[in-house]
Amino acid sequence: MAEVKYLSEHYHKPEYRGLAGYKANGGYAMLEKALKMQPQQIIDEVKASGLRGRGGAGFPTGMKWGFLPKNGEPRYLLCNADESEPGTFKDRVMMEKAPHQLIEGMIISAYAVGAKKAYIYIRGEYMGPAAILEEAIAEAKKAGYIGKNILGSGVDVELDLYLGAGAYICGEETGLISSLEGFKGQPKLKPPFPAVQGYLKKPTIVNNVETLAAVVNIIRDGGQGYRKYGTEKSAGTKLFSLSGAVQKPGTYEVPLGYKLMDFINNECGGLLPGRKLKGVIPGGSSAPILSAEECMDATLDYENMAAKGSMLGSGAIIVIDDSYCMVDVLSTITHFYHHESCGQCTPCREGTGWVQKIVHGIVHGNGKPGDVDLLLKIADNMKGRTICALSDAAALPVLSFVTKYREEFEYFIKEKKSKVKGTQIYAQLNPSEMGAH
Amino acid sequence: MPESNNTAAPATEPKMLKMTINGKEVEVKEGTSIIEAYSQHGMSIAHYCWHPGLSVAGVCRLCMVEIEGNPRLQIACNTAVTDGMKVNNESEKVKDAVKWGLDFHLINHPLDCPICDQAGECGLQDQYMAYGKYTPEMAEKKVKKHKVVDLGPRVVLDSERCILCSRCVRFTDEVSKTNELGIFNRGDRAEIGTFEGKPLDNNYSLNTVDICPVGALTSKDFRFRQRVWFLKEHNSICTGCSTGCNTRVFYNKEGLFRIKPRYNKDINGYWMTDTGRDAYKFVNKEARLLDARVVSNGRGEWIAPKLAARKAGEALKGAGKSVALVVTGQYMNEEYEALLSYFKNEVGTDRVFHWINNPETFDSFDGLLARGDKNPNTKGLLAEMAKQGFTAQWRELAEGLQTGAIKTVVVAGPENQAVFPDLKAKIMELSKASKLVWLQAGKNDQLEALTGDVTLIPLKTYVEKTGTYVNYAGIAQKVHKGLTVVPNALSLVEVVALMKGEELPADDTYNQVGLGRVHNEFTMVRGTL
Amino acid sequence: MSLVQKRTELSKWYLPAIFQGLGWTFVKMVKNLANKKQMITLNYPEQKHEYSPRFKGNHVLTVKKDGSIRCTACMLCATNCPAECITIKAAEHEDPTVEKFPISYEIDMLRCVFCGFCEEACPVDAIRMGPEWQRPAVNGANFVYDLKELAYRPSLKGGIVSVVDETDRHKAGI
Repeated sequence: MAEVKYLSEHYHKPEYRGLAGYKANGGYAMLEKALKMQPQQIIDEVKASGLRGRGGAGFPTGMKWGFLPKNGEPRYLLCNADESEPGTFKDRVMMEKAPHQLIEGMIISAYAVGAKKAYIYIRGEYMGPAAILEEAIAEAKKAGYIGKNILGSGVDVELDLYLGAGAYICGEETGLISSLEGFKGQPKLKPPFPAVQGYLKKPTIVNNVETLAAVVNIIRDGGQGYRKYGTEKSAGTKLFSLSGAVQKPGTYEVPLGYKLMDFINNECGGLLPGRKLKGVIPGGSSAPILSAEECMDATLDYENMAAKGSMLGSGAIIVIDDSYCMVDVLSTITHFYHHESCGQCTPCREGTGWVQKIVHGIVHGNGKPGDVDLLLKIADNMKGRTICALSDAAALPVLSFVTKYREEFEYFIKEKKSKVKGTQIYAQLNPSEMGAH
Repeated sequence: MPESNNTAAPATEPKMLKMTINGKEVEVKEGTSIIEAYSQHGMSIAHYCWHPGLSVAGVCRLCMVEIEGNPRLQIACNTAVTDGMKVNNESEKVKDAVKWGLDFHLINHPLDCPICDQAGECGLQDQYMAYGKYTPEMAEKKVKKHKVVDLGPRVVLDSERCILCSRCVRFTDEVSKTNELGIFNRGDRAEIGTFEGKPLDNNYSLNTVDICPVGALTSKDFRFRQRVWFLKEHNSICTGCSTGCNTRVFYNKEGLFRIKPRYNKDINGYWMTDTGRDAYKFVNKEARLLDARVVSNGRGEWIAPKLAARKAGEALKGAGKSVALVVTGQYMNEEYEALLSYFKNEVGTDRVFHWINNPETFDSFDGLLARGDKNPNTKGLLAEMAKQGFTAQWRELAEGLQTGAIKTVVVAGPENQAVFPDLKAKIMELSKASKLVWLQAGKNDQLEALTGDVTLIPLKTYVEKTGTYVNYAGIAQKVHKGLTVVPNALSLVEVVALMKGEELPADDTYNQVGLGRVHNEFTMVRGTL
Repeated sequence: MSLVQKRTELSKWYLPAIFQGLGWTFVKMVKNLANKKQMITLNYPEQKHEYSPRFKGNHVLTVKKDGSIRCTACMLCATNCPAECITIKAAEHEDPTVEKFPISYEIDMLRCVFCGFCEEACPVDAIRMGPEWQRPAVNGANFVYDLKELAYRPSLKGGIVSVVDETDRHKAGI
């Protein structure tokens, strides 16, 4: 198995972005097919396909849809296009190359779950994709794919685009809902879960861009047909955005269960010449790093990653070679989480700041002997103690970096210089410029 | 499940669930959260953001409990009790989690306890003593935020001390529904604040100070006036309006310093008004009439109140209908009973008039607690007047004064003078009587300046006597004597007894309730002895 | 015990012993006049003994570098005082970094037992007990020392600067 073109079959065609080009390549045919099906049939197909959420947590989509109350209460479908995880850029590709694919998937899904209103929540920095989507939505509205009585089926679905203000936390589903409601983007306490009480206190389904787009393929090939790729528990294909020290970084679609090293060596052209692999972050900056040995037999699916103590996340693979200083990498990651913590729960609000200060201290040559153990203790106590997973996302990289590359941290603290680069990383910079807001 | 038919069983008692808290079996109602179960059964659990009167925020992450069968610690405030649940917050795991939760709260806390008004009743101090006592490991610089932020006319914010529990934000959101406060910025830069041009100026703003578990929100009125450990507490009733909120008054020998609400689910819940919190000011010595003043033949002198009451009583005895009594609704049932029956039976008059504070706003209500009837016991007075059969109208008083049919007016004036906007006009009107006996707790320059035959007798305030108030809803509440501010002052019961010529029981007047620290006044006069 | 004096013949000769004693006094006087430095008596009260700086005598309120009062009016000294001789009234300072300061600080020296607890309780080195202790007064009220007396009495020569300084603390991020 190698790279496949399943979701991304027509992505290479520039005209695929517009309505005419999309229809010419078989677009919106599946919508017509789906509208002839019963909503429960669609849900059953999605359940049968084994499709799992592509946003990060990997929760089975069919099961999520099944949590909705069965009464006729108004409900909402939200598309989470707030793709802010460092290293992730697959949704952006999907929205830029095939906005109509997302729209079609959303209309089908909205019909399946019974939502009359759907929103795409896109991150504030995605001005380009937002403009493309806006145009596509207008086209689809004009063509009668969105609005009242779609294609004469009597089904009404409204679809709107909502541009966020640029906050990582709004990628968390309840944070997204808060933001969409017009409040500060802060996650809400669970229970109640969004499927019971979400947007405007109504049942709400939040799905990732890729998940909703995959629904189109599931309708085309059926639930069992979708399973022709992937493994038993991780069915289908997935877009991976690979960045870091490889020859050809970019977004690739591969079936789940593909070998990580094959992916790096075949699709991405291997490491830069003369470099040695040091570690791979398999699922965006919040996933624990895999050391070089662990990478060797790793496969790109949810179970294998979980067994290795990491996660597939949003499919953002960051390859780190031996020219990187791990203290430096962690410093960047902790800086990000400190900046993005919403400040609601104390362990995350204070813990991210504390961790960031310690790691910056080490990078600036101000490390103290107990710092490594202290980092572990802090991260351990941030983990699983908050409303949302941001605290875990901030703690897991700290735990994995410090455990797996402990000698680099200890060397930096002792010698006040990087083991890899031989210098203090920020020595030439004014410390107040780093981490100042 | 929606009720589909009306043959369903009638509403029954909520189902009781059995659960085990720290090894003790208890029963709670269905739908109770674990933290509620803890507080209902008097067991302590660390918490900051949870408040029984507000919604659940679940942000402080301190109320961690271990639930049997769940590997992860859960917060008690957002976890509902299920039948047979076994929870524990005394295990080492929980204690360590709380210790770390506390450490996270404290790393950016400025620890300026020496100048913080909350010191002594601070949640951080309490929990540190219970769970902390560790050596801090934070060696980095703390986050600097705004200090001494003026949020409104009554509240000051110190953002550095704030632990962002969001209680105050939820209060303005859910209780006062004024939405002045919000959390601005994010992460550890987050701060409480008000919106431009919208200060925190609602009549319930000081409740945010009460519910603030740390010293972030402080009351401008109480700021720096006393350390809380120098104050004693006494349960009382707010006399600011006819709602009768349950309160705690804080005092020491120098007088009263502040009033805080006390929980009563039938009357005020957890809250009280800001205006009610000012009800300590007229109690303190500076605002009080300290001795009786008798003016006759243009000469005024200060005499002992007991003597003045006796003298006034001699003149009233059997004076009949030439005597009128004006009463405000600011006294206790026992006092009304004594006063009105004295006027009916011994003086022999039916000219008893009820003086209300402000007829226009008298029936108003702000929807939460504050009422336009600014008297704590209007109901009690009306009941007593009906019992004695007094039905006189104000008009009769004016006529009587005009025609000279009323010669003597006895006034049980307002204890809280500030809520009577017509006080000046009334003094002018009533002083037309040839003899005026004015009974009142507070001092009033206009009264003291009166010439003619005037007797002013100082009365006790609501913290200095025991009795009953009946609130707007007819709920009778008893308050007890807490302290003595003006030793010479009398209650209306005592005034009536003295007017009748009886002796007072000897002990009461100078009985100071234990005041702990006594200021050493002896040294001030020692050198001059 | 009763002291029995034996009147002997010899005891009549007391004058030589007196002269012997006076002579010794005279010798010392001459020696002292010749060498004043060796003299061990003082011209009290014009002259006084220097006590060690650690002597717990009269209180001193320290000042900051700019000469303003160091005390933050936290009232820990008053709380800790076993003799209850300290009375403080706090007020809001116009400078928000200072926030709280005492507008009145009184110590009743006649009640004070010089235990030094106030010094120990103080979190900011605002109160110390100094080496001077002999302070007469004609009236009990004069023994109630106020802020001016405690911080700026002439013998302190403009005030003692505390070791803790706010600006230093702020710089250190404490």
